[in-house]
Amino acid sequence: MIQLNNIEKYYANKGIKNYVLRLVTTNIKQGEFVSIMGPSGAGKSTLLNIIGMLEEPTYGSYEFLGEDVTSLNERKRIELYRNHIGFVFQAYHLIDEMTVYENIEAPLLYKKVGSSERASRIADLLDRFNIVAKKDLFPNQLSGGQQQLVGIARALAAQPSIILADEPTGNLQSAQAEEIMTLFKKLNQEDGITIIQVTHSEKNAQYGNRILHIADGIVKEDVAILS
Amino acid sequence: MFRLNLKIALRNLWRNKVITSINIGGLAIALAAFILVTMYFTYETGFDKENPNYNEIYIVGRQLPDFKTNYTPPPLGKAIKAEMPEVVAVGTMKMSFFEFPVSSDHGVVFLSKCLYLDYAAAKMFNIKPTVGLTKPESTTENLFYLSNENYKTLFPHNKNGQPEMIWLGSKSANMTGKLSGSIFADPHSNITFDAISLMKEVGIGENYGYNNYSTYIQVKPGTDIQELEAKINTLYKKEMLKNGEDPNNETFKATKAFLDPLKNQHLKPKAGTDANYKVLIALSVLGILILVIACINFTNLSIAQATKRAKEVGVKKVMGAYRFQLAFQFLTEILIQCLAATILGLIMAEIILPKFNNLFVVNLSIWVANSALFWQLPLILIFITLIAGIYPAMVLSGFKPALVLKGNFQTSKQSYWLRNSLLVVQFSVAVVFIIGLLIINSQLKYMRTQDIGFKPEQVVYIKNLAYFVSPSKFDPIRDKMVKIPGVKSVTVTNALPDGSDSGKNKYTVDGKEQSLSFTDVDFDYFETLDIKIKEGRTFSREFKTDTANSAILNEAAVAKYGLTSPIGKTIKGCQNKEYKIVGVIKDFKALGFEKAVQPTIYAINDPCGNPKTEIMLKIEESKMSEVLSTLKSQWPEINKLDGDNFRYQFLDEMYGKLFKKQEQLQSVFFAAAILTIFIAILGLFAFAKYITTGRMKEIAVRKILGASHLQIFKLINSSFFVMVLIANIISWPLAYILTKKWLETFAYRIDLPLFPFLISAVLTILLTIVTVSIQANSAVKANPVDALKYE
Ligand SMILES: Nc1ncnc2c1ncn2[C@@H]1O[C@H](COP(=O)(O)OP(=O)(O)OP(=O)(O)O)[C@@H](O)[C@H]1O
Ligand SMILES: [Mg+2]
Repeated sequence: MIQLNNIEKYYANKGIKNYVLRLVTTNIKQGEFVSIMGPSGAGKSTLLNIIGMLEEPTYGSYEFLGEDVTSLNERKRIELYRNHIGFVFQAYHLIDEMTVYENIEAPLLYKKVGSSERASRIADLLDRFNIVAKKDLFPNQLSGGQQQLVGIARALAAQPSIILADEPTGNLQSAQAEEIMTLFKKLNQEDGITIIQVTHSEKNAQYGNRILHIADGIVKEDVAILS
Repeated sequence: MFRLNLKIALRNLWRNKVITSINIGGLAIALAAFILVTMYFTYETGFDKENPNYNEIYIVGRQLPDFKTNYTPPPLGKAIKAEMPEVVAVGTMKMSFFEFPVSSDHGVVFLSKCLYLDYAAAKMFNIKPTVGLTKPESTTENLFYLSNENYKTLFPHNKNGQPEMIWLGSKSANMTGKLSGSIFADPHSNITFDAISLMKEVGIGENYGYNNYSTYIQVKPGTDIQELEAKINTLYKKEMLKNGEDPNNETFKATKAFLDPLKNQHLKPKAGTDANYKVLIALSVLGILILVIACINFTNLSIAQATKRAKEVGVKKVMGAYRFQLAFQFLTEILIQCLAATILGLIMAEIILPKFNNLFVVNLSIWVANSALFWQLPLILIFITLIAGIYPAMVLSGFKPALVLKGNFQTSKQSYWLRNSLLVVQFSVAVVFIIGLLIINSQLKYMRTQDIGFKPEQVVYIKNLAYFVSPSKFDPIRDKMVKIPGVKSVTVTNALPDGSDSGKNKYTVDGKEQSLSFTDVDFDYFETLDIKIKEGRTFSREFKTDTANSAILNEAAVAKYGLTSPIGKTIKGCQNKEYKIVGVIKDFKALGFEKAVQPTIYAINDPCGNPKTEIMLKIEESKMSEVLSTLKSQWPEINKLDGDNFRYQFLDEMYGKLFKKQEQLQSVFFAAAILTIFIAILGLFAFAKYITTGRMKEIAVRKILGASHLQIFKLINSSFFVMVLIANIISWPLAYILTKKWLETFAYRIDLPLFPFLISAVLTILLTIVTVSIQANSAVKANPVDALKYE
């Protein structure tokens, strides 16, 4: 599904290249649940952003679903966001002016999903995440864990084939974190959604089936987890 | 989608109530000003525009060596009509400013603008009597129509403006005439009148010497006007020579006929002043400037808010929103605000309109069916939405999700110099208006408190059409009036001290000829006006010669001749009439403050003077109302010659009209000063907000490092302080030059004071510090941890 070849990323500062990623080559298949781990500043977020096409690599090539997306125009990229990729953020990034319901609805509107289909999908998600009672509340009326549930519901609304999550439980307490991780695992196993997450927690990483360890922009280890 | 965006927009605006109301309010105020200016502009440029031949009508004027005039002789129009095939029609008219009364059983009206015009002119300007335009049968027939207002006064029960019989002139003279009906006098036309006299032809028998008509021509569409002008000029010269003009006369050689389009007549006629045009242009520029600045402020404030919206942009983008969709969303939000501002602006304009109408002596109204505003407003709305919205929409929708979603996002600090200079410009404009206003105030205060040399208070001027050339004729009238308890003195003159120009003649003293203004007076003139005598005496009944050949000069006249002991000297006037100077009065400002006191001679007997008609009474203040009612009831008795109607005015009010133009200017400057300060403060507010939110983190760090609140206030204020100072320094010379030029239009004026410059500086700096500190306060008060935590 995702094929990265010799991805490099550096920031030039006064002529000196500060490498963030060096020759990253990896392949992620449909249905995998990958955790990216490594020390702070290692380049984890940068890698995830490149996978999510939020940043472009300085060098290397990237194929998504068999298509070269190394430098894609905006229209094509947004097409991919609408149909294939869901993002989950550490800081949730719900839109403060929208209710829970509207936050989940927004991507469907951009995808131009019909209104009855929209209503049934949202009702389904609310039901599944047990937040039906909260649908008319605004994000600031929710706990962190609840906000993240909404964030994931929103990411799932457009029925993506892959979810990219940068430290999705970074702001959460362990009980809530566990709940989110169980959810991810379930989505991965039951719905076949590919998940790539960045995490600092070994425990969280165990929910997945593969760990990429990076340090100083280099993939040090690529280990499979046998469940 | 759209509905959701709308909902978000409203929630967003509601959440930031303060910013939203400042945004909308600021724009609304600027819009109100702009709407008024637009209406005024439409009105002022719309004179006669309804006329279907608007673009084809020209007035024929004459250019003389030292001035231009629109007065032409009546045969010229006829000659043009006869010889120029491209001229479709020629209309000739003459205005009579002589005031005369017209009455019916129901009342009386005084006509002071009676227009004599021919049938062709009436057709050209679409002047239609209520009963329809009929062509006078013969050249001797004369159809007389009154304006609707006047007609209504005389015949309040007539509905259809039908013909009636009226008394012309004084009712006691019992001269009746036929009124042909009523007519609409369009106030929005260059052709104004309160009555018209319609003839088949005007100026019959008057030759090329009678330069007191207006000649309008209507040309075929597409006519080459320059060519026609040359042809008319040639024709005019040819006709003049035929009429016996000396071809070697220098004035004749230099005289030229010209054409001036009807559409320029109201604002910038070739013969006349274009002052109104300049005022209009200045107002329009000011209106546009204020609106554009308000829009830019709006933009700045929107971008200052951007950090709050950045996350939304990032998230929406990764959810699959196109940039144009986001840009559209922000434009919608701005459109909503602009719409609110337009509605609010319209309401404000409606509230200010009566004052505005009063100030500019117009009668504008927003809610009229054919108002140009109906198509102008949507255009204005689109215009402001675009200039206020395009930039924020581009900036906001252009945020990169990867950057904004990291959390520690700050809007870029680019284009600082642009903002800085905008702020400086805003404050410079405000400073110019503040200084201007203060100086206008000082000059007006000076004019109100300065001794004008006479006392117009409690002097009543009675309108009168009878001539009182010889004092013996006026004596019985005066005697009757003086008998009324409370009347102190009575006099009659040919010119009131209300700014009106009196005539000029040549006078000789000691063989030195000078041109003097002359005022023909009667006994008690100086007493009535309380004018101070400097040397000699005023006119007195004890000296028989006073009604024959005594004269009084003012100081200016004495100075003009350079006389050291004027009393007893002989001054020779027109027709070699010799006067003996019996007194010198102190100068008094009969012409107001703009014109210097004219060297003037006062005499009772003046063979070349104008008839004395203006009666003035000095009345005891406490008896004023009684005297006026007594006068009213006894007036036919008192003034047998013109006693039909007792009409009066207070001299001090008439004199006060001389201040009106300056008071108008004062009001404009007051409004402009308030408006520009307000808008500058708004801009400052946006900018300060932008800066402080941008520096939140820096401030937090400094606080943790131990900076005191005061130090932080100083830190934030210092750059603004410098900008406002620069604005002041830029504006001072500009304001100095402008106000100096303005003051130079006064013969009597204050020295240019220094304090307005200091006050404007103190005021703007103070306002700046307050505004910025209010903004800075939130940053200073904020817990540093909050600012630093957000990662
Ligand atoms: N815009 C930038 N300019 C220069 N250097 C940058 C920029 N963005 C990121 N970096 C650098 O890239 C490196 C990797 O950053 P990245 O955010 O990917 O780290 P990370 O592994 O996600 O760390 P953490 O666990 O702290 O989130 C860092 O050393 C950072 O300094
Ligand atoms: Mg990271």
